[in-house]
Order: sequence, then C-alpha cells, then structure tokens
Amino acid sequence: MAGLSNYRFWAYAGLAVLLLALPLVGDEFWLNRVAKYLCYGMLGAAVALTWGYAGVLNLGQGLFFGIGAYAMAMSLKLQSYTSLQQGSDTPVPDFMLWNAQPGAPTDLCCITPGSWIWLPFQWQWTGVIVAVILPAVLAGIMGRIIFGQRISGVFVSIITLALVLLVRLVVTDAQPLTNGFNGLTDLGWLTVFSHEFDPYAKGTYYLVAVALIAVLAAARILVATRAGTILQATRDSDTRALYLGYDVPAYQTFFFAVSAAIAGLAGMLYVIVSEFASPSFLELSFSITMVVWAAVGGRGSILGAAVGAILINMIEARVSETEALVEAWKAIIGILFVVTVIYLPKGLSGLAHDGMARLRARRPSFQLKEEAGQ
Amino acid sequence: MVDILFIGLSLSSILLLVALGLAVTYGAMGIINMAHGEMVMIGAYTAVMANIWLGLGLIAAIPLAFAVTALAGLAIERLVVRRLYGRLLDTLLATWGIAILLQQAIRLEFGLSFFGIHIAGLGSGLQNVPVPGALQGTVQILGHDFNAYRIFIVAMTLILAAATWAVMYRTALGMKVRAIIRNPQMAAACGIDVQRTNALTFALGSGLAGVAGVLMAGFKTVAPDMGATLVVDGFMVVVTGGVGSLLGTVAASGLLGEFNALVAMATNDILGRAAVFAVVIGVILLKPAGLFTFKGR
Amino acid sequence: MLAAGVRMAAEEINAAGGVAGRPIEVIVEDGASDPKTYAEKAQKLVIRDRVSTVFGCHTSASRKAVLPIFERRGAMLFYQTHYEGFECSPNVVYSGAVPNQQLGNYIPWILETLGKKKVFIVGSNYVYPREMAKVSKGLIEAGGAEWVADEYLELGHSEWAVMVNKIKDSGADVVLSNVVGDSIISFYREFINQGLSHEEIPICATVTSEIEIAAMGPEYAAGSYTSFPYFQSLDTPANKSFIERYRAFVGDPAATTYHSLEAAYFQVFLWKQAIEKAGDTSVEAIREGIRGQEYAAPGGTVKIDGDNLHCWLTPRIGQWQADGQTKIVDEYDAPIKPLPYAAYGETAENLFCTREGLDSSKL
Repeated sequence: MAGLSNYRFWAYAGLAVLLLALPLVGDEFWLNRVAKYLCYGMLGAAVALTWGYAGVLNLGQGLFFGIGAYAMAMSLKLQSYTSLQQGSDTPVPDFMLWNAQPGAPTDLCCITPGSWIWLPFQWQWTGVIVAVILPAVLAGIMGRIIFGQRISGVFVSIITLALVLLVRLVVTDAQPLTNGFNGLTDLGWLTVFSHEFDPYAKGTYYLVAVALIAVLAAARILVATRAGTILQATRDSDTRALYLGYDVPAYQTFFFAVSAAIAGLAGMLYVIVSEFASPSFLELSFSITMVVWAAVGGRGSILGAAVGAILINMIEARVSETEALVEAWKAIIGILFVVTVIYLPKGLSGLAHDGMARLRARRPSFQLKEEAGQ
Repeated sequence: MVDILFIGLSLSSILLLVALGLAVTYGAMGIINMAHGEMVMIGAYTAVMANIWLGLGLIAAIPLAFAVTALAGLAIERLVVRRLYGRLLDTLLATWGIAILLQQAIRLEFGLSFFGIHIAGLGSGLQNVPVPGALQGTVQILGHDFNAYRIFIVAMTLILAAATWAVMYRTALGMKVRAIIRNPQMAAACGIDVQRTNALTFALGSGLAGVAGVLMAGFKTVAPDMGATLVVDGFMVVVTGGVGSLLGTVAASGLLGEFNALVAMATNDILGRAAVFAVVIGVILLKPAGLFTFKGR
Repeated sequence: MLAAGVRMAAEEINAAGGVAGRPIEVIVEDGASDPKTYAEKAQKLVIRDRVSTVFGCHTSASRKAVLPIFERRGAMLFYQTHYEGFECSPNVVYSGAVPNQQLGNYIPWILETLGKKKVFIVGSNYVYPREMAKVSKGLIEAGGAEWVADEYLELGHSEWAVMVNKIKDSGADVVLSNVVGDSIISFYREFINQGLSHEEIPICATVTSEIEIAAMGPEYAAGSYTSFPYFQSLDTPANKSFIERYRAFVGDPAATTYHSLEAAYFQVFLWKQAIEKAGDTSVEAIREGIRGQEYAAPGGTVKIDGDNLHCWLTPRIGQWQADGQTKIVDEYDAPIKPLPYAAYGETAENLFCTREGLDSSKL
C-alpha cells in the first residue's frame, strides 16, 4: 500500500506544480479560461466527494455553485461603477432602477421589495463568507432531513434535482431582486488590501489555482481520516455501518455539507473570473454536466474528477473552435460520454490506477478499495 | 371551476403520457433513461416528416411514430443500455450522452447539412404539424366549452394507460417483466430470457414516448430540444408515484397535474410549477418509496 | 440562422471588392444559447483573436453577459435583436428596434383604430417583456384605456391552458403579447383551441415573427397583429431581391426572412461604411465613423443615431394572413429616432443617452 499512496501523492504534487507553472507559458486570455475550468475542477471534486465516497448522487450541485456565485456577484455588483453612480449615498444596482415602482426611493434599503437583503453585501467579505457558509448550512439542513429519513439512492437525486429547479424558478421570477433571467452582470473586481483582482491578470489565476490545490489536498486528507473511512463503509453498506454503531446520517450530512461548501467556493471564484452570475447555473443540464465530468475523470478519485472536469472543458473548447466542427461538437461530446461510461466505468483515474497496477504486475490482484461500488 | 379541473386533468394526462414509458423502463428495468424526452421528440418529428413526405395526418402518424421510436429504443438498448444493467446511475449518464447526440442529429439533419443537403422537416428550426379540423376549437359538453384537442389527449392517454396495463398484466411479456422486477436472478433461473424481455420492454417504453410525441406535436412546439424538460417531469411523476407501480404513476400524475393547475390559477404559472417541485420533495420526504409501493424485493 | 445573414452580407461585400479593398474574414462561434458559453466565446474572439467587431448575440441575457468584455477590452458588438432599451454602451451598435419604435405607434393605433379599451398584457418572464409592459402601460393610460392584467410565464414554457383561461375570464378585448421564443407557438394554438378568436380579442404581438407563424400554422394567427420595422411581405424591389438572394444563399427555396435577420444583414453594410469613412478598423474609428451612417436596407432606409448608436427604423404594423405573411395595415413614412430610455421619460428633445454617455441624473 505504501508504494501506491506514494504515487498518489506524486500525482497531486504533479498537478500542483503544473498549475502553478502554467502562467509561464500561457497568455492572459488563456489563463482566464483555464481559471474557469479550474473552478469546474473544484465542482468535479465536490461531486466525487459525495458520489464516489458517500454514494450519494447530488443532481442539484448547481444549487450550491449558484448560491456561491450569486453571493459573490451581489457584493461585486455593488462595487461596480454603474452601481456607485446611481445618484445616492449607497450603491444601487442598475437593474433595480428599471424594476422599481415609479416613485420608489432610490436607496438600496427600499428601492424594490426585499432589496434590503442586499445591504450587508456592501461589505465585500459578506459575499465571500456567504458564498461558502450558506451552501454548507443549507446542505447541513438538507442532509439532516434527507439522511435522517434514511432516504438514499435515486431518491436523493430527485429531491436535490427538484430543489435546484425550484430555486431557479424563484430566482428568475424575483427579477427586482436578482435581475431574473439576465443574471448579475457588469460587476466590479474583488479588492484585497487594495490589490484588484483583474480577471485577466496572473494574480487572479493564482488565486484560483491555489484555491483548487488547497481544496483537493484538504478533501484528500479528509477522506483519509477516520470519518472518511466510515463514510466509505456507509457507501458500501449503510446497514452494516449502522449496526456497527456509527451515526451514519451525521457522517453523510457532514460530507454533503463539505461538498456544498466546495461548490459554493467554486461558484464564488467563477464569478471573480468570469464577471457574471446567471440563473443558467441552476439549470438541470449544468448539474448533470458536472456529474459527467466526475464520471469521466473517475468518480472514485477526487483528483481524477477534478482533472476530468478540466480536461473535458479544454477538449470541448478546442473542438468547438475547430472550424469544421463548430456545428458538430456537441454530438462529439455526447458520443464521448457514452463511450466513457460504457468502456471506462472508473473513468480516467481508473485507467491510470489500472496502468499503475499493471506496472506492478508482481502484485496483479491488487484492488483499490476506493474504486469498488458506485 | 369545471374549467380549471379540466385543465388540471389535461395537464395530468400530458404528464402521464411521458411518464408511462418511463414507468415501464425505469420501474421494470431499473434504467434511468434520460433520452426518453428525445424519444418524445423523435415521435413528434415522425409526425412532421410523415406529413411532409407521406401526406399522413396526425392520427395516421401515431402507429408510425410508435414503430419508429420502438425501433430506435431497441437500437439504444442493444448498443448501450444492455452493457449497463445494474449500474443505475451509469444509465443516467450514458443516456444523457445519447440525448445530446439525438438532439444534434436532428439539428444537423443526420450530418447531411454538412454536405449542403437540406431535408424538409429537420434542422434546427421550429416545425409545424397540422391538426385535423375536428380537433381544433372547442366542444360543448353540458353547457361548458372544452378544448377539443385536450379532450382528445385525455382520451388517448386513457387508452394508452389501459393498453400498458393490459400488456403488463394480461400478456406473457408482462408476466415476465413483472417477474424480473421482483427478482431478476430467480426469473432467469425459471427460464425467462431476461435479455430479450428487457429489450422488448425498452422498445415498448420508447414506443409509448413516440406516441406522446405525436400528441405533443399537435399543440406544443416541435424543436430539437423539446424533450429535455419533459423527461424531468416524467421522472418526478414516476418516483413520486412509487417505482414499479403503474397505479402509482397514474395517481401521481393526477395529483401533480391538478395541483399545478389550481396553484397556477390562484397565483401564476411560475408558482404553479414551483409548487409541483415542492410537492415532489414533500412526498419523497414523507414517503421515501413513493405513494404506492409493493412489498417484497 | 442569424449567422447566415451576416455571412451573406460579408460574401456580397467581398464579391464587390471588400471593405476598402480588403476582403472580410468571418469567424463563427456557437454560443449554444448559454450565457456561460457566450462569455467564453466572446473572450476568445475579443482577446485572443483580437477581432475588433463581433456581430451577434441573440438575447439580452447573452448580451449582458458579454458586455463587460467588450467595454473593458475595447471591441465593438453589433447587436441585431430588438431589445428593451435602458442601455447606453459606447461599445455596442444596436441595429434592432427599441420600445419606442415598436410601441409608440402600436398602442395608440390599437386603442384608436381597433377601438380597444381593456388590454391584457402577457409576456415571458424576463427583462424585455417586463420593460415592454412598462412602456405599454404608460401609453395605454395616456390613451384613456385600461390594462386588466400583466402576467408572465417562464421562458420556454409551453403550457398555456391556465393563462388562456385567465384571458378568457378577464373581460379584456385585446391581448398585448410580449411572449418570446418557442412559447409563442403553443400560446396561439391554445388561444384558438379554447374558443377565442382574433376578430373579437386580437393578439397584438411585439415579438411574433414569420418564423413562429410558420411553425404554429398560419391558421392560428390569421387576423392577429405584430409591430415590427420589417416584414417579409414588404412589397419593394429591394426586399424582393433580398429574399431571393437569401434563399439562394441558404439553399432553401422556402426560407423565411424576418426582422432580426434583416438587421443582422444590413448592420454589416453600416459597419463597412463606417470603416471606409473613418479609414481604419479600430474601435474608436468604427464608433465615430458609424454615427449618422445611412443605408438602404431591404426594409427601407436605416440610419445609426449620432447620439446613442441605436438605429433609426420605420415602425410598421402587420396583420397576419392565412398564408403566413402580413398585410401592412399601418406604417410611418420615414424612420424614427430610437429612444432607449423612453420608458423613463426620454424624448428627442431631452436625450438621456448621448455621445458623452448616459446622463444618470435624468433617471
């Protein structure tokens, strides 16, 4: 086992070095794009954490990503030039002006019904904190109810799916508060100690890259702890874990919340990099897409899922920009998914593990515990 | 009030139309077929093409669409789904890929558009299916005006639901399917050809989706992405009703459809839809196995 | 489909010698109707490919998502879809209609010529229909009529039973529809199927175009109205030739032309004229060069406004016929000035959006 965990360490270290070295070779545009994909990589890791390790497929991961994105975007929106020049002491988002009832005061507290909820977001750290904490708290509550009821499998997927679609409807409908379908655009930049995070500057890339490395390392350490082991025991047989005296719902809820916090962080960083938040983050297709990334990368491996997400998006960008394939790239991506699911059920990381195992052919029957089951 | 209850009934029957096929494939085979919505879409396009190329009307297109989508379903089962039995969530992912592929196939006219060949009835645009005059406008029953096309849909849904019930409970195939639902290993041990039965079941479920597609074509938009939202609604109905229970699916679609109509009428359509999602969440939390379940397994 | 309009224009310009002697090279990207993808593609075009002009974006949501890229990175966007106004970007040329060009003529005409008194306003749930409703309400009240409802449906929603039932019960004598996209088809079909008729309660739409009429079946729309600056049925030699060339270009003898397509097409010529006037392709040159440019478009003369970079267009009202085409029942003699802030009291004498940008103290 020692040799094996060794190469896993090197895989993580290799990715970290690669990510930190990228700015040496890429231009600002390319780095900005990669930074987005790194956010997606975080999402892949978040999916793997609940799906691969807890056996819970969350089809509503977009909800947590969306909360993180919106929380950050609300703070950045209030810092944007257009919000600050709306002729009042407090900043007011431009869209609230055209959603206000005629004669309403042009003040953030009461310009549209409920607009006071934006007040704390004038302090940019509110956005940062809410983006991570709110998903975790919400997931904690959801987990407590869902797992407390011993609901599992596809039923969890349907509940999370219904919830994200419900929230999408509400967000789109609450146009005076959220700018509805158009989402929050025209945002300011995150400012830390008077350093502005220009989305196209290397500093912003490093912010995302370091965050991803930290998330991956933390998640990896977390699953190697006792709690992580118990969780995997739960995934393989929850009754057995229950009979062994473990509070199974508590472990599941904990990991569900951690995964939500990671997704929230990903959403937050995505907004810093891409300068907008949109209800399309809450669409079904986005939530399924991130599950597909994790599946292709390898659901049983946090690193694999993250790398899968990053790679798929790079391939997708590449293919969709090839002149001859502009029309066909979606079909190609569709075929890719089908083929991967059929022939590579453990994803790319499974392939890598198998390759490593073959290299150590003297121990051919070696089986990775993490890879068993789904 | 009669109006709104009737609207609720018609919403229910549309939900049921989509959910019937899913109830068969998911309930009986444990396949989450995300391409089910695309089967509906192919059914609708069959109606469009049958009209343009064969001059067939909407009703004549129904058996044709059943045949086309059943064959498409059979092909999907043979090529992909067969390799994934027992891997529930993998079926979801693989069929999601198939769904994307099918949508693009229609958009790109099976790739012919690359060669500058255009087939009337395909492509990325919206398509039109003419509706027979008798099904347009309203019908008066007991002093109330009812939308003729919706009455037609309700009637067709009842017929299809009855036919599905008959297949499942009155034929040899249905008996085998039910045996497989209860215990696939035991069924196989008893000499049931599980592979063949599964393939036929998948074809049946897909065929039902195709018929739903023709009926949808008469009053909704026919476009490559028309199926994407339907499949979600269908799943919620099946899961809410209780996996493997045809009666549960019927009851759940009735509940969700009427609830949707009543809330939409009292407030607005957006909240009406949100309420449906809330009911689904509530039902699963209270009765995790759905409204109707059978013991055993 | 809109890309075809731009491509065709580029091909015609190249065949006639290009822009200032140089041929146009067209790069096409697919935004996949998703703001995430749009933003990414816009970044690629503007930052990596360093194009100075992008033609496109189909919806307000995608335009809003890409706008910061254009403004901060210095590139021009030519946006061809009619939209809700309330925008004054120096980096966008808006060649589609704004509310005052679709509603300023329409509402008074509905109230006076059709003699309607109670308006039911319905739209898809996002900013464009809501802004259109706001402008309409002002005009309806000014005309001494009343609006009885202002309802919204989720974008892309296709279940109209409840809404049409509400229209039936509301006592309205006209429906103002700001419904967009695929939803239009199921709306008109449900409207007729619940026994309503365009003779008694006509649907007066601001978005329904030839495309949707063909898809729903013209019999469901016959007798209803739409207000647009361009219709396929315009009986001018320029339009006839445009339709013919477009059909040949896409290789479909029955292809339809419509407002956004026409705008997508003619904006390329305006861009060419701007470059030829300014002498280079920088953003500043295009911005200054395009001010006041006129072009004889298929739908008549169009002109880019010197102040707000929106387009002077001719308001027209068409009544849909059984053949899926319109009969023009009302039209202005000449194009009128675009006023993107009309809903907030902007008039030709008191402009909010000028060369210097938006004067937000007037809002």
